[in-house]
Amino acid sequence: MARTRNHRAREYLVGYLFVSPWLIGFLAFTLWPFLQSIYLSFTRYNIVSPAKWVGGANYRMLLTEDPLFWHSAWVTIRFALVFVPLGIVIGVGLALLLNVEVKGMAIFRTIFYLPSIVPTVATSVLFIWILNPNIGLVNRMLELIGVKGPAWLKTAPWAAHSLVLMALWGVGGSMVIYLAGLKDIPQYLYEAATIDGANALRKLRHITLPMMTPVIFFNLIMGIIGAFQYFTQAYVMTPNGGPEQSTYFYSLYLYNRAWKYVDMGYASAMAWMLFLVIVITTALVFRTQRKWVHYGG
Amino acid sequence: MAAKPIRLWLGTAVAIAFTLFVIVFGRATPREYPKRIPVRFWHRWQGDWEKQVKKIVDMYNRSQDRFEVVPVSLPGEGSDAKFILGVTGGDPPDLMSMGSGSVPNLAANGFLSDLGAMMTPPEKDQFFNHSYPAIRDIGMFRGKVYGMTIGADMMALYVNAQQLRDAGYDPDHFPKTLEEVEEMGMKLNQRDSKGNLTRLGFLLSDIGFVSHLFGGGFYVNEDGSLKLNTPENVRALESIVDYRKRIGLDNVIRFQAGLNDIEGAASWAFMHGDLSITYDGQWRVEELRKFKPDLDYRVYPVPPPKDGGVPLGGLVGGNYMVVPISARHKEGAWEFLKFWSGLDNPDRAATCYNVGGWLPYSPSVANSATFQRWLKNDKQFGAFLEILASPNCKAPPPIANLAFLNDLIAQAEDEAEQGSKSPKQALKELEQKFVKERDKRRALGYDE
Repeated sequence: MARTRNHRAREYLVGYLFVSPWLIGFLAFTLWPFLQSIYLSFTRYNIVSPAKWVGGANYRMLLTEDPLFWHSAWVTIRFALVFVPLGIVIGVGLALLLNVEVKGMAIFRTIFYLPSIVPTVATSVLFIWILNPNIGLVNRMLELIGVKGPAWLKTAPWAAHSLVLMALWGVGGSMVIYLAGLKDIPQYLYEAATIDGANALRKLRHITLPMMTPVIFFNLIMGIIGAFQYFTQAYVMTPNGGPEQSTYFYSLYLYNRAWKYVDMGYASAMAWMLFLVIVITTALVFRTQRKWVHYGG
Repeated sequence: MAAKPIRLWLGTAVAIAFTLFVIVFGRATPREYPKRIPVRFWHRWQGDWEKQVKKIVDMYNRSQDRFEVVPVSLPGEGSDAKFILGVTGGDPPDLMSMGSGSVPNLAANGFLSDLGAMMTPPEKDQFFNHSYPAIRDIGMFRGKVYGMTIGADMMALYVNAQQLRDAGYDPDHFPKTLEEVEEMGMKLNQRDSKGNLTRLGFLLSDIGFVSHLFGGGFYVNEDGSLKLNTPENVRALESIVDYRKRIGLDNVIRFQAGLNDIEGAASWAFMHGDLSITYDGQWRVEELRKFKPDLDYRVYPVPPPKDGGVPLGGLVGGNYMVVPISARHKEGAWEFLKFWSGLDNPDRAATCYNVGGWLPYSPSVANSATFQRWLKNDKQFGAFLEILASPNCKAPPPIANLAFLNDLIAQAEDEAEQGSKSPKQALKELEQKFVKERDKRRALGYDE
């Protein structure tokens, strides 16, 4: 017995030794800063001087004295409300189309997946040109059908729409997951439905979509988290918050507070507010899953 | 079966070889004088400008045998964040060139060294008593010098002489009032059959600068009183917005979005005749000399408005050298800064300024034989020196939250230009937001 216990202890030790590089990295570079930022959010801190305790002042200011906090939060929520559902609908739609057995499907799948692996900054620069109101591809195409396209990134309502459009261009990443989900649906369900006389639409409504709900649920959660943390594209394409601050996302404001105004305590409080909102939203979505997610596969 | 292990070994060997190659040859900044004390210099110039900076660095490295300045070019966006991380992470540069707007905030937060403490008494006299006042004041915060220019920026009007002649104007007799230039601009506009602009006659933006022509400016006085939502500033913003409306807001936005405006390259729209009279900085003189030497053009200070205008008004900005508080080789940094700025030898420093077509820190450099010789070939540069020497040319307010104020000013101008708010409303809200932010900072314990 003692020999077995020793052997097991040694195995544990070896296991921990193997994961120790990651574990040390996690403790030092993720967990410690994470915990430290809780403390910093209650301080006035500029990195070079010691942090000064201000109690809940940062949070109080954020909620009661800072119109930009609410504005940037609203810009972000509005983006999430449009992008997340659209991303799911288009992602599922594409996956359904790319699940059809036709010749050369691998090429089509690759084409739709490719944009999601292009670096974000490269995509952003590309879209700055595509959406150029004068010489951009989109407006040139609209011109062919007699439509004068908007000044996409240069005017208030359209700048935010442009970012949604661009985000949807990268929907290939979630599409691949949907595609895997589709492949996972047991074939016998469709066979039974065919015998029962169900048409394609009914199969989609009563078999495909319900069986896809775990994957949709996963992408919904990831989409919400991603949308709340949306930063790079807005930073590159519409610096300083875009026209009339219509693309002044929460993360962009947080970044400015931290690195432009060197107000790390306040930025930490903002980060924690964001964290709480994401946790609460995710928890709420989790609570709804009993009603619509089917783990029947 | 045997192919698999061979492929595996081959793959591993290639990976190891590549890693070794990167380790051995992957030095980003090779040293030319490894025995000297390294002075790490971060700057934000890229493209052709980076080459000009390298020339100055080489000049300095050849001029002495104690230090080696090692330049590192950073992308402008996010360079301040990199600087902050460098300082706090214990690996700062010894010297950095940054935008003047960041200096007061970083000084207030203790990131920067007091350059005054490094100056000898004659150098102090030179700097405090003989600099262009506006240039000197930008680098100062609460009586101390934290930033010194090696290339201040100033704005003026570039005029395409041939296009003016074609429209019946004499490019050598430029209007004396803003209203006259606006009328001239309307005649110089060209449109296609659908009414879209194909050439822009004249357009003014940048309320921070233009407000000075109207006798205004955005200031926070030492006693805390504000000069933000003033009648002068409102008039200046109204002037910018009204003129845009005359051309067509949408038309202007579309036309400007289509312009290629990469700095340090031959792509400036003015070079290609798309802009007749355009508001731009002094660095374009050198670009024109390099990339479009045959272009017949003039440079004039922006004329003031007819009523209540202030001649040669403007706001200075640009590139400022700072020495981080935790720099390892402050002495080397200071020596190089003196070499470039000309605090100890104005005539020699003139070469540095001329390399990039930058504005010098003092009249002593501008009046030096070398600078004057260069000025003969780049005559149009004189307009910028004229503005710089004017008492109406000012520095931005030396306040810790200048970056925040600058963002508010840009936001107000954008809202007014887009037409979502009237200039009056935009500036009223600007002041309210600034007061709110200041109160907030005071409540958090900031000394403001």
